Amino acid sequence: MIPFRFILADLRRLWVGSLVVVLLIAGATALGMAVNLQERALRLGSARAAERFDLVIGAAGSDTQLVLSAVFLQPSPLTLLPGSVLQALTTDPRVAMAAPVGFGDSFDGMPVVGTTAAFVLDNGRETLLEGRAFDAVPEAVIGANVPLAIGDQVKPLHGLPGEGGHTHGELSYSVVGRMRETGTPWDRAILVPIEGVWRIHHLGEGHEGASVSEHADAADHDHEHDADDAEAHGAGRIGPPWVNPPGIPAIIVKAKTIADAYRLRSEYRKDTTLGVFPAEVLTRLFSTLGDVRKVLSVIAMATQALVAAAIVLVCVVHLAQRRRQLAALRALGAPRSAIFALVWSELLALVAVGVASGVALGYVGARVFAQWLSQASGIVGPVMLTMQDVWLAFGLLAIAAIMATIPGVMAYRQSTAVALRA
Amino acid sequence: MLGVVVRDVTVCVRGLAEPVIDLPSLSIAAGEKVAVTGPSGAGKTTLINVLTGLERPSKGQVLWSGTDIARLSEAQRDAWRARHVGIVFQDFHLFSGLSVRDNVLLPQQLRSFRLPPGSRERAESLLRRVGIERHDQRVETLSRGEMQRVAIARALQQEPGILVADEPTASLDTESAKGVISLLIDLSASLGTTLIVVTHDGNLAQAMDRTICLDRGRLVMPAARAA
Ligand SMILES: Nc1ncnc2c1ncn2[C@@H]1O[C@H](COP(=O)(O)OP(=O)(O)O)[C@@H](O)[C@H]1O
Ligand SMILES: [Mg+2]
Repeated sequence: MIPFRFILADLRRLWVGSLVVVLLIAGATALGMAVNLQERALRLGSARAAERFDLVIGAAGSDTQLVLSAVFLQPSPLTLLPGSVLQALTTDPRVAMAAPVGFGDSFDGMPVVGTTAAFVLDNGRETLLEGRAFDAVPEAVIGANVPLAIGDQVKPLHGLPGEGGHTHGELSYSVVGRMRETGTPWDRAILVPIEGVWRIHHLGEGHEGASVSEHADAADHDHEHDADDAEAHGAGRIGPPWVNPPGIPAIIVKAKTIADAYRLRSEYRKDTTLGVFPAEVLTRLFSTLGDVRKVLSVIAMATQALVAAAIVLVCVVHLAQRRRQLAALRALGAPRSAIFALVWSELLALVAVGVASGVALGYVGARVFAQWLSQASGIVGPVMLTMQDVWLAFGLLAIAAIMATIPGVMAYRQSTAVALRA
Repeated sequence: MLGVVVRDVTVCVRGLAEPVIDLPSLSIAAGEKVAVTGPSGAGKTTLINVLTGLERPSKGQVLWSGTDIARLSEAQRDAWRARHVGIVFQDFHLFSGLSVRDNVLLPQQLRSFRLPPGSRERAESLLRRVGIERHDQRVETLSRGEMQRVAIARALQQEPGILVADEPTASLDTESAKGVISLLIDLSASLGTTLIVVTHDGNLAQAMDRTICLDRGRLVMPAARAA
């Protein structure tokens, strides 16, 4: 048989061509791989992010924006819902949980979100990683990745993360609990009672005995009259039910039954309110993304086909240049099968190295992209190789193994005497 | 040591009305040293190819000590050639990237998974006999004369009964050519190998037992050369 050293010497002698072939294959494989991995990661990651959010109700406007704000905590100015909607929902018999979410403040670049203890515990279906849920206004629960500890103080800054702003000197929360990791933007959020958000913005507390603040507009109030004013409302009760609650950007609703959820959604799809199923919006979003992915996979496949064609061409040219070498091997006694094996295995070795490095490259590429994405959006896309990818790699190898028989057979069939004259 | 009897051999190729070679009868005795001469295009290489089984004649018999290689299948001819024939080419056909020693061992490795014991020693002693001392040297770094001497060692590695060389000195300078000629003659004599050399070199032809002269594919009287 052809000695291994001979094959090595051959590949070393032809290293430029070999390297180009390996790089071409690696590039084409990586492209296809990265598209697959990234799409899957994004789909899984955002589906996971939307899990908790059965029905989101906000003021009439863009449903995509509502989902991006309420589910993915993307900072954007949402029109407020009137408090009456919250009040109605909390007393609605079809509703298991109606949790307001109030945005607008941040701490150290992390969003501070006002909500209810029920939402923190996903209406009793979740437990915390440590500590407990808040049960008074000056308490906060932090996301898994918030770099704070139980007992730390949080003084929110008015304004969205990254926008800067001024501190609300009047209110400081102490951290009492930490949520489990969810792989969503909520891992970087600080959850406080919605009453705290209302109080900071002097909107009242939405509970009996607490007078609705005269400073109705949240954006432009002065903070001169802080401490005692806030203190006057006292360590009031938090959570539902509310009486005349102030406006909120969005409400997360868990219906008792699926039918109720659909009924509620259509009821709240009116002139002034908007009810959406985040999963539905995401599906629509992803069908758009899916088209993009289709285009990308077609591009990836076309690239792979082009690379395959280029490699066949390279092989045929290469074989023409090697005719004399192969003929000499046969004249020296190599059986025809050895010539076939030589050409075939050299080619397959290059393809195997190319595919392997392509898979690695695609994986690393998808990881880097996912990292960047999760830094930018907080969505942790689980980039993982599945059997599907393994099969893809094997499929490429199998195709290569079949294609490599073409030059192999050409080498096998050439006439020694004629080739030696060339 | 093998001898050959060629009977009624013709080689025809497409597009040529006349056969490339047409030999009613030709024999070479075992151990004989034969020079093959003739003008370019006379059919010398074709004759060598037929004798070594690289090419199958259109008709006729090529009997090497009783075996008609013209009737063997391609795979059988490959095996027969590997077993019995050592070939020296005009342009060496050494494999660059491999050492001198690995080049000598290569034909043997092409046919077996494991080198028979003593192969390396034989390769090294043959290399010393052709005057090559550095066996780990990459073959592409040798001079042309040295390359042809390595090729001779390679051809003799498997103790062939027949040593064939097609214009082995045509691409060498006079000095190297002389060395190669004397190596071919001395080694085949001491190893008892039948030697067939295609050559235009008068010196080489002179040193052989006999000269076969070809012209347009037919044997012509060697006397014609002497005249
Ligand atoms: N396969 C072939 N196809 C066409 N012509 C051939 C083929 N083989 C040999 N010939 C022709 O046969 C003649 C003899 O060739 P060759 O044996 O190489 O001559 P020499 O070695 O004496 O120079 C040449 O004219 C050559 O062109
Ligand atoms: Mg010739």
